[in-house]
Amino acid sequence: MTRTLLTSSLAGLPIWASVACCALVCGAQGAHAQGVTVQAADQPAQELTQQELRALEEALGEDVAQREEVAPPAPASAGARAIQQMNPDLSLILDVAAAGFRGQPRQLGAHDPSRTGFNLQQLELSASSSVDPYFTFEANIVFAQFGVEVEEAFARTSALPWNLQARAGQFLTPFGRLNPTHPHSWMMLDQALVNAKFFGAEGSRGLGAQAGWLAPLPWFLELSAAVTMADGACCARSFWGAQSPGVSRPRDLLLTTRLEQFFALTDALSLLAGASAQFGPNPTGARNRTEIYGGDLYLRFRPLQNNPNRRALSVQVEAMQRRRQVPGDVLVDQGFYAHILAELSALYEVGARYERVSGMPDDPLDPEWTGARQRLSLQGTYRPSHFSRLRLQGMWDRVAWDDVDTFGLMLGLEVLVGPHGAHDF
Amino acid sequence: MRENILKLSASFVAALIVLLASSMAFGAGKLKVVATLPDLGAIAAHVGGEHVEVAVLARPTQDPHYVDAKPSHIVKLNQADLLALNGLELEVGWLPGLVERARNPKINPGAAGYFDASTAAKLLQVPGTKIDRGMGDVHPGGNPHYLLDPRRGADIARALAARMGRVDAAHAALYRARGEELAARLDALAAGQQARFAALPESSRRVVSYHASTIYLTQWLGLEEIIQVEPKPGIAPNPKHLALVLTTMRSKSCSVIIQETYYPQKSSAKLAELAKGKLVILEGGASSLQPGAYEARITRLADALYAALK
Repeated sequence: MTRTLLTSSLAGLPIWASVACCALVCGAQGAHAQGVTVQAADQPAQELTQQELRALEEALGEDVAQREEVAPPAPASAGARAIQQMNPDLSLILDVAAAGFRGQPRQLGAHDPSRTGFNLQQLELSASSSVDPYFTFEANIVFAQFGVEVEEAFARTSALPWNLQARAGQFLTPFGRLNPTHPHSWMMLDQALVNAKFFGAEGSRGLGAQAGWLAPLPWFLELSAAVTMADGACCARSFWGAQSPGVSRPRDLLLTTRLEQFFALTDALSLLAGASAQFGPNPTGARNRTEIYGGDLYLRFRPLQNNPNRRALSVQVEAMQRRRQVPGDVLVDQGFYAHILAELSALYEVGARYERVSGMPDDPLDPEWTGARQRLSLQGTYRPSHFSRLRLQGMWDRVAWDDVDTFGLMLGLEVLVGPHGAHDF
Repeated sequence: MRENILKLSASFVAALIVLLASSMAFGAGKLKVVATLPDLGAIAAHVGGEHVEVAVLARPTQDPHYVDAKPSHIVKLNQADLLALNGLELEVGWLPGLVERARNPKINPGAAGYFDASTAAKLLQVPGTKIDRGMGDVHPGGNPHYLLDPRRGADIARALAARMGRVDAAHAALYRARGEELAARLDALAAGQQARFAALPESSRRVVSYHASTIYLTQWLGLEEIIQVEPKPGIAPNPKHLALVLTTMRSKSCSVIIQETYYPQKSSAKLAELAKGKLVILEGGASSLQPGAYEARITRLADALYAALK
């Protein structure tokens, strides 16, 4: 009777209580070698035999084992997990760097290590979640040395028909390979020169809306078009830039278009090719326009067999041409970068980048940029885990308008806490 | 000149139409299943038979934690009726972005075509307390490598068959029958191997694993996993830890190291050599989509392990 009572009362207990009872029973067993007395509130005391105790322990052990096998979280943490699951995925990414320059530092990116000493490149707070069955939400809030900015905050559709997808909010425009990505996924510690010169220190981004279409073809072909505000010195410097004349007609907005195709040349070799263009107004005169055209290639070799160290070799090239109408003239300049990255193992990678960006006399945006600028950067990276990274980068920067070259050495540390979001190819 | 442009445009449109038609005709009428892992693909192919067309994103030779998010996967996902994934954040580094860009509401989380196989598996190592990355790359939902246990595989075969029947009701009974048939075979396989391993002396039932990915395997076969080559999940081994592994192997008379094919093998091979033991390389997943491929892969795995232990 007592065994029945005890067993039935244990059956509904959480694991910790069962274990406590088990310990109680075991302890009692040790204390009373011949048996144990269990006093139920409304039952007379009865003595358990060794066999009964053993049977109880075995039953408890099986219960615990079964529960461990199924392994539900403890009740308290189950509640916490349920609450957590309703929260957006939050992560923090910190990028800091120590840098030293010989010659004048000419870094252009807003998050580049740009002075001798310690640099806070950025602290990025990322949040993402499904809103409902129709939208997902994503935000990247960036804390920098001198303030906070909403780098991106947008809602994206997840259930549009005809292979369409749209997003609205503030976002990095879909121009090229580098621009739509964040510093922590770059191959170098700093932004490419051509991106900074043509788009701005923060890259091309703005408030607006974007639509994309995935062609129903056997290979990947995606067309995107985004319409955003054309102002912002940080992120639309070739267009309205620091001026904000407002929008009085569609041509006052910035239009970005992109065509992207992917080809799996072999199991190991992949090629992604893209063409992008941007069209928008500039402030040099009535109806003056700026156009930026770009082409990019990304070639990646990563064997899928016999590659336990996850070795890979990637080459990325991106070239742009900018055409600006100014009173009585059209200013044309261009630039490119070529990058090679060797992932030697899960722990180590090395990379090199060469950049060249042209210049011209009397450029209203960059009056000092009178000729070509070249930069060569080399980097070596060590990743203690998937969530931390140490990167040593050296660079040689030569500009046509100054006889003194700049040399720089940077050591960047990146750490990530929270869920690690998926990266695009 | 204008005529040439018109001809060129017409040729382009015609080519596009042919491509679209061929794309739509490909696998028309079949249930299109995309599986993230080879084992899930093999189970889906077995259950679906000639009524499904299965595509698998990760290769058995690839670490499923680190798969390139190739846009070609987006094309497959765009055309899928059902996505079968391992879940428990095993694919978190590459799958969510692919699903999002696939523009396919049928396989969005919460839809009938989104099948998270972990919901059908009895899980181990589910953290009951607060975890953080100081413990390594710990999966908050539990250990995700449950497909190494055919009993879990059986549960998944049944659940996947039910889900396939929900998405493709016309063949629901067939899927259910095949799911049950596969599950029964897997349960029998599990029981047979369990009895075989149970006959080994206790001193032969100890193993070292490279990554914390074999808990389901060792629990199924009644083996004791004494230590991992990685000091913490996802953290590369260091000499101090390797020395600890070796002394632990010697002190516990353990001579077998097991690891999947996609993990680095030199440290493990050296440890096995120093411990006068063996390194058993496990396939990372089913090698084909032929009927019985998952069962065959698990059988090979158990046989290789038994041969090393006996």
